[in-house]
Amino acid sequence: MNPTRTSAMDRAGRWLVLGLLVAYTFYNVGPIVWLVLSSLKSRMDLFTMPPKIFFTPDLTGYQSVFGVGVAKDSAAAIGVFDSLINSIVVSVSGTALAVFFGTLAGYVCSRFNFIGKGDFMFFVLSTRMLPPVAVLVFYHLMFARLGLADTRFGLVLVSIFANVGLATWIMKGFFDGVPKEVEQIAVVNGYTRMYAFLRLVLPMVKGGIAATAGFCFIFAWNEFAFSSILTTTQAKTLPVKISAAAGSTGIEWTQICAAGVVLIVPVLIFFYLIRRHLLMGMTFGVLGRR
Amino acid sequence: MSGDPMLRLDGLRKSYKGVRALRGLDLTVNDNEIFALLGPTGAGKSSTLLASAGLIELDAGKVHLAGRDVTDADPASRDVAIVFEGFNLLPVLNVKDNIAFALRSPAYREAEDEIARRVGRTAELLRIAHLLDRNVDTLSGGERQRVAIARALVRRPRLFLLDEPLSALDLKLREGLRAELRQIHRQYRSTMLYATHDYHGAIAIADRIGIIDGGQVQQSGTIDDIYALPANVTVGRLVGSPAMAFFEARVEDGHVTIRGAEQRLPLSGFGGIGRAGGDVLLGVWPEDIEIGAPDAPGASSGSIYAVDNRGFERAVQVETGGGSFRKVVPLTSGLERGDACSFRIPKDAGFLFDAASGQRISHQDRRPA
Repeated sequence: MNPTRTSAMDRAGRWLVLGLLVAYTFYNVGPIVWLVLSSLKSRMDLFTMPPKIFFTPDLTGYQSVFGVGVAKDSAAAIGVFDSLINSIVVSVSGTALAVFFGTLAGYVCSRFNFIGKGDFMFFVLSTRMLPPVAVLVFYHLMFARLGLADTRFGLVLVSIFANVGLATWIMKGFFDGVPKEVEQIAVVNGYTRMYAFLRLVLPMVKGGIAATAGFCFIFAWNEFAFSSILTTTQAKTLPVKISAAAGSTGIEWTQICAAGVVLIVPVLIFFYLIRRHLLMGMTFGVLGRR
Repeated sequence: MSGDPMLRLDGLRKSYKGVRALRGLDLTVNDNEIFALLGPTGAGKSSTLLASAGLIELDAGKVHLAGRDVTDADPASRDVAIVFEGFNLLPVLNVKDNIAFALRSPAYREAEDEIARRVGRTAELLRIAHLLDRNVDTLSGGERQRVAIARALVRRPRLFLLDEPLSALDLKLREGLRAELRQIHRQYRSTMLYATHDYHGAIAIADRIGIIDGGQVQQSGTIDDIYALPANVTVGRLVGSPAMAFFEARVEDGHVTIRGAEQRLPLSGFGGIGRAGGDVLLGVWPEDIEIGAPDAPGASSGSIYAVDNRGFERAVQVETGGGSFRKVVPLTSGLERGDACSFRIPKDAGFLFDAASGQRISHQDRRPA
């Protein structure tokens, strides 16, 4: 084939791919950019048509959501600081515990045979099939009786319940990828099974633990249905708080945008922290049998 | 040294989800010998080794190690080392720490300067000293198996269990490492149980071999013992390269008649068969069969079905009325695919096996006096 024609086609292909990537990026990043820009606009700028790209940043939205500065004691401020703390406490402890139990359960399901293992695994999976709305009422009643309504502790329990099944399944997959010879080598050479699990197997699946924690954290952070029903004032999480963000002067769009940014940032921080392990974990158990 | 064998397995039984892997397996490995367990995939080799190491729970049977009943003993207390076919090295440790792994365990702990000395010496022996600080995932297959063997060796265990340790390696590397294992064995007088599906590998390394199939040891002894008196058809099929030739035959009026063949063999050459007659399988080591020109006097006719070149010799497959067999012939034989030929079985060369059970029914002993 003619080399110049090949390169011409090559170039056209490149431009096509580039164009698609730009469109896709715009589709994904566009709303976030819009959100961030809106959160920094004053009430006036926000409603200007066509939208202003260049404007003087105005931090009143952020001051209002945290109830500081000029917005302190303002009736219009929705004040999300407490809910942010609630969300962080509930999501972090819920994720940590779900991953902890999921790792232990996943290991057992990967390595040991017990009566009813298949049924157990299905039951664990089925906890994730349940639409939360179906059981909300009963949770509400139970939590009210047990004094767990509107407590962070109660939400942590819900978060564990919602995520431990997922964590068990994902971790089982990662443990399945670890050759059983690892434990065999350990016990033949005079170590205990527990040593093999803690010091040899766990380090081999740390990417998997990071990936599992990532999934659980996203679910816990975004969890809405349970939190909205089981909390009233004290333990409200951030998504619930934002959805109900209407001040005395109508819908506070600037504040909602600012709160939306506040909602995104912890997720970014979390994934930034685990990013090194994540790439490895996202390849799902491709540890290579060496 | 006590008179006890190093390892004695009595009637081991083990099923995995209803599939029987071991069906009453008996095996004895003597002190200071290399015992090769030869059998096809799925014969029960790995299960036998895992049972010896205590890594699987047996359904029945007893494991004795150096005269002690260890059936219910912890793997950590048995003082055995194991090398697997594939995965051997712990990726969270480097080469040096992989070799030193056992010497830092609660059960086999040594002082650090002693560990360094032993690891260094073992690495020298296996020619991996230059790899000690490497990460295990940078090693080649041959280097990995050397490191694994070094880890087993560094502890000087009672018994080495080697589960196809060389099967994943290419031929040259395999032959080299096999010779080294033999050398190490001479130096250390260690006892090894070596599982393999490779006939050449087994006879090259072993003092004695055990033929395993269907979760049972079919026969064990020196290779000469097995050649002199194969216990059953399975042994014949697994031993030799090419394996034993089998012919459908009948015992009639004092002779063995091969189906579709002219040659009749007098029963006297088989040392008595303990029964009157009927259908049998005649087994002959291919080395004993004579192949000649068609219509040679006193021979039966066959034809060359296939020819494999083996460099300095060739293997031919001969089709006969009673079955086909493979035999190695010199390059000069001039046999080509499609040629007619004749074959003759010397009158005292064959073994008779029961056609149904496969057990040997002839009683001759061809062991050299």
